[in-house]
Amino acid sequence: MNETNVLRDSPVYVVGIGLHRYQRRSDTTYVELGLTAARSALSDAGITWPDVEAAYTGTALLGMGSSRIMLSRLGATGIPMTQVENASASGSSSVAQACLEVASGRSDVVLALGVDKPRGGLGAAPSQAGIENLESGAVVPFTHFALLASEYMHLHGVTAEQVAKVALKNHRNGASNQYAQRQKVRTLDEILAEPISGAMTRLQCCPVGEGAAAVVVASEDGIRRLHLDRSRAVRIAASVTRTEGLYDAGVGIDAALTAETGSAAFDQAGLEPSDIDVLEVHDAFAIEELLYAEALGLCSPGEAASLIESGEFDLGGRCALSPSGGLLAMGHPIGPTGTGQVVEVTRQLRGEAGSRQHPGAQIGLTHMVGIGAVCVVHLLVSD
Amino acid sequence: MTVQARHPQLLRLTDPPIILGHQCIGCRRVAFPPDPYGCERCGSPREDLEELVLEAQGTVRAVATVHRHHQPSPATPFTVAVIQLTGGPVIKAIVAGAGVSVGTEVEGVLVQDVEDAEGNILVDLQFRVMT
Repeated sequence: MNETNVLRDSPVYVVGIGLHRYQRRSDTTYVELGLTAARSALSDAGITWPDVEAAYTGTALLGMGSSRIMLSRLGATGIPMTQVENASASGSSSVAQACLEVASGRSDVVLALGVDKPRGGLGAAPSQAGIENLESGAVVPFTHFALLASEYMHLHGVTAEQVAKVALKNHRNGASNQYAQRQKVRTLDEILAEPISGAMTRLQCCPVGEGAAAVVVASEDGIRRLHLDRSRAVRIAASVTRTEGLYDAGVGIDAALTAETGSAAFDQAGLEPSDIDVLEVHDAFAIEELLYAEALGLCSPGEAASLIESGEFDLGGRCALSPSGGLLAMGHPIGPTGTGQVVEVTRQLRGEAGSRQHPGAQIGLTHMVGIGAVCVVHLLVSD
Repeated sequence: MTVQARHPQLLRLTDPPIILGHQCIGCRRVAFPPDPYGCERCGSPREDLEELVLEAQGTVRAVATVHRHHQPSPATPFTVAVIQLTGGPVIKAIVAGAGVSVGTEVEGVLVQDVEDAEGNILVDLQFRVMT
């Protein structure tokens, strides 16, 4: 049986969500961060910890064995716990694993958690693969994306100011998100100040701090047995993970991989890009939001910058892009980020996003890419 | 005193310098950097990857000047480009000097990177506007 049939025949729902605010590294332990998000998600779902049958923890930076020391403080129930590492998409993959576990019938109620604390460097395995490159040491992620911005602006006649308007929007959205690391409305002048690399300035690069995000997923049986509020349950209509294939020389891998993964997710759910009301994408650098909006099929190549400028992707616009503030404003604590996207989209689809509510949101998408490269896309539907 | 490439597997210190890639004898795929493990297209092992000589010249596809860097070297600001080599592969490298923008034809030049106390020199490949 393929994944399509699993999710169609055995629907999986998000029934609880919780966050610990994303913030600069502090003395707060990861245990405290994770428990705050987990307790909040259990309470939101209206369940207790003994109802949870398995847990997946998305984390890339904590080191081995992080789950049990944390989650046993909710009660050492002895359930299976597994750490999930998929670089920036670790939290997305914790949701994917939880979803698969419920769809498979092994469990009815599973916790997907994302938690991390930054430490010096990312310790990425590809740099230890023994494959040398000319630019090693000179091209770090912000320059990789500054180069993609250079190519995009040249190809489509887009200006640096237009790219910066991605950050203008996302900082504005983040300003009304109590869980965001950056909660300040910015002017275009502020965003264009402090150059980092090429067109990318400090406020067009995401902050990497600490935090936690939690999602409880459940089956139909779980919802019935525990008498959960069905009206607040959001169905996971697609869960797709892909890795980088071989593309023609010079093709941007992040966007090509996103296009493949997005397309597979739309096929799995039987939905179209034009169905999307809200989405959270991997906008670690402002240029990425333009590339991924296009790669996911929301608009034609080269069109995203002018659509952002005209407010089509604002809250209340054609569809809300990065309503949480995205990685640029909400932040990118690595492990929690992908889980946190599912939290935000669920909140939007329930109509519980308060001043950030996108009117009439019924279908949402989450998207992360990670070093490797990997890509994870989920489609969520409020039935 | 010796003169060595910072990345000896990637370069031949000739004049003009040569970039080393590989070609798979199984599927004929050309790739850079040369891979020590196998072919990403057909899965042939490293024994089936032949060294391929690539001219250090091409066209700039993208360019960015870096203002913040986590290490003292290279010193900021420095400029990095995405270069479509005439031989096919697309690489990233530091560009030396001014006048490089998207579409510029560039060529490789060996630049002294580090010299130790014994006078041993490490050189690296950078690109400049074609003369």
